[in-house]
Amino acid sequence: MTMHVVLGELDGPRELLATVKTLRGEHVRELDTHTPYPVHGLDEALGLPRSTIPWWAFFGGLAGAVTAYAMQLYFNWWEYPLNIANKPPHSPAVYVPVTFELMVLFSALTIVGALVVRFWGFPRPHHPVFEHEPFVQTASASGFWVSVSTRIADDAERAKARLEALGAKNVAVIREPEELL
Amino acid sequence: MSATDESLTASLFAYVWRPASRGYKQLLALGLAGTALLIASLTLLISTGIGVWGNNNTVGWGFDIINFVWWIGIGHAGTLISAILLMFQQQWRTSINRAAEAMTLFAVVCALMYPTVHTGRPWFDWWMLPYPSTLGIGPQFKSPLLWDVVAVTTYGTVSLLFWYVGLIPDLAALRDRSPSRTARIVYGVFALGWRGSGRHWSHWKLGYLLLAALSTPLVLSVHSVVSFDFAVSNLPGWHTTIFPPYFVAGAVFSGFAMVIVLLLPASRVLGLTHVITPKHFDAMNKIILATGLMVTYGYAMEHFMAWYSGSEAEATLFFRTRPTGPYAAAYWAMLFCNCVVPQVFWSARARNSPPVMFAVAVLVLIGMWLERFVIIVVSLHRDFLTSSWALYTPTWVDVSLFTGSLLFFFTNMLLFFKFVPAVAASEVKEQGHEAAGAKTVPFMPQVGIEAQP
Repeated sequence: MTMHVVLGELDGPRELLATVKTLRGEHVRELDTHTPYPVHGLDEALGLPRSTIPWWAFFGGLAGAVTAYAMQLYFNWWEYPLNIANKPPHSPAVYVPVTFELMVLFSALTIVGALVVRFWGFPRPHHPVFEHEPFVQTASASGFWVSVSTRIADDAERAKARLEALGAKNVAVIREPEELL
Repeated sequence: MSATDESLTASLFAYVWRPASRGYKQLLALGLAGTALLIASLTLLISTGIGVWGNNNTVGWGFDIINFVWWIGIGHAGTLISAILLMFQQQWRTSINRAAEAMTLFAVVCALMYPTVHTGRPWFDWWMLPYPSTLGIGPQFKSPLLWDVVAVTTYGTVSLLFWYVGLIPDLAALRDRSPSRTARIVYGVFALGWRGSGRHWSHWKLGYLLLAALSTPLVLSVHSVVSFDFAVSNLPGWHTTIFPPYFVAGAVFSGFAMVIVLLLPASRVLGLTHVITPKHFDAMNKIILATGLMVTYGYAMEHFMAWYSGSEAEATLFFRTRPTGPYAAAYWAMLFCNCVVPQVFWSARARNSPPVMFAVAVLVLIGMWLERFVIIVVSLHRDFLTSSWALYTPTWVDVSLFTGSLLFFFTNMLLFFKFVPAVAASEVKEQGHEAAGAKTVPFMPQVGIEAQP
């Protein structure tokens, strides 16, 4: 199967937002945008659910805190209790700093790990959009692009015509064998 | 395509593609010479032992710990700017956060070096890590020194992650504009394949905000933990409950001074004065003034408690040893640099004068270094037992390690300014777009903002 990616460039964030809303209204699926910075309102326009990143952060932090506390109990209470300044082997107050720090560390590592691997699917240096030279020239700096992905060649042609009618520039269809994606 | 975004991108990235100037190469050569000095001193230190330092007597902590605390403090401004000011939606942070975070990372590297070698046998440093030891003994988690290991490592790691996540969109922009194939591949590898997808941005926004939320308590906790190294002991001059907040304020104070020392010349040389404007420096100077007052309050409180406690040892340290002892010059210079000098920033003219703010920033950096000298050396050189009184004199190894770490830090900053966009371009553009509708745009880049239709 061949994947068809239709790309079109809009004049600015407002035009992009309007185009995305129009296309969504026409039930175009597999819609995405490519912008140099997050455009306010695009999440709603694309109909994206709220990111689940906060849950990843929460459970990562929880795992860190539990690990840290258990580790301190293991080393200083169970494995080799040392009498330090007559503090009891299990003294919750002195375990607080390490527990806090590892909670933050695990949470941050989980956030970034989840972002890169789970949500972005990175590292991934190749993608059909990079085959379109005008896209490469502007998408990361000043261009506001919309893309439609489809497996049906006719749909791709229709999307191309629709994007052109909506005022998009540099419209192109990129075809790539699906197994390469 | 947006013309404003195009011109901003071009102006923010222009210097990355320019060949290095003669002046840059000379500075880099100086920095590399300093790095060589650092490596030579470290080699001598590790092969001989820490007896080459001046603290080979009852004053067990000297330049090593002073520099550790000083460098960690420098780093705090970066995290404060990038995390806390983001949470408070202080828009002026956007132009300076990237460079300040880089400064944090390099400062943490310099800081970590000192305790690593101060253990005396750095090849056994892995004993500080929790691993299943055949000796049947693990790290002693009731010691503030071990809290330090965990706190500083976490701080460095989280700062790096936060910095990198913010950098990815700009690395992608550099990748797409690379004039050579090599540059394209190198930036491409670090950009991970970023294509500005709306779905990706949706996760990026929330992830970035959460990392900021996590870094916010880190700013407060790291220097608090560092201050526990002192506060948990019972030595006069160290045994004070005011230490955690007073250390954090001092850290931010010296950190902002370093940001000014670095960005004042860099913004001119790199042609970034349209995004790093006098208003940014004005705001930073106000923070220096505010944190300087907090530090002054800390000093006042220390002295008050020394008198109020009725402890003879405390009173002797604060009212005799510090102002009239052998290191009195450091004490008075510290008070001058940290309490008197920043007061010029009550004047708007001083806050907007580059020579004045540069001079104040340098004096604040010196003053904060002296503060750590006063806390550490002056408290240690005369403790309860008069027979163990001694004087501390740094050796040339102490001095060359410090000079070397300073120049190593500047080398890293120079390389950063050459290869990585010093201003978060995607964030500046986003802010420009969001502010375009607002009536007042106090901290906006001064290239034309798109007019509303």
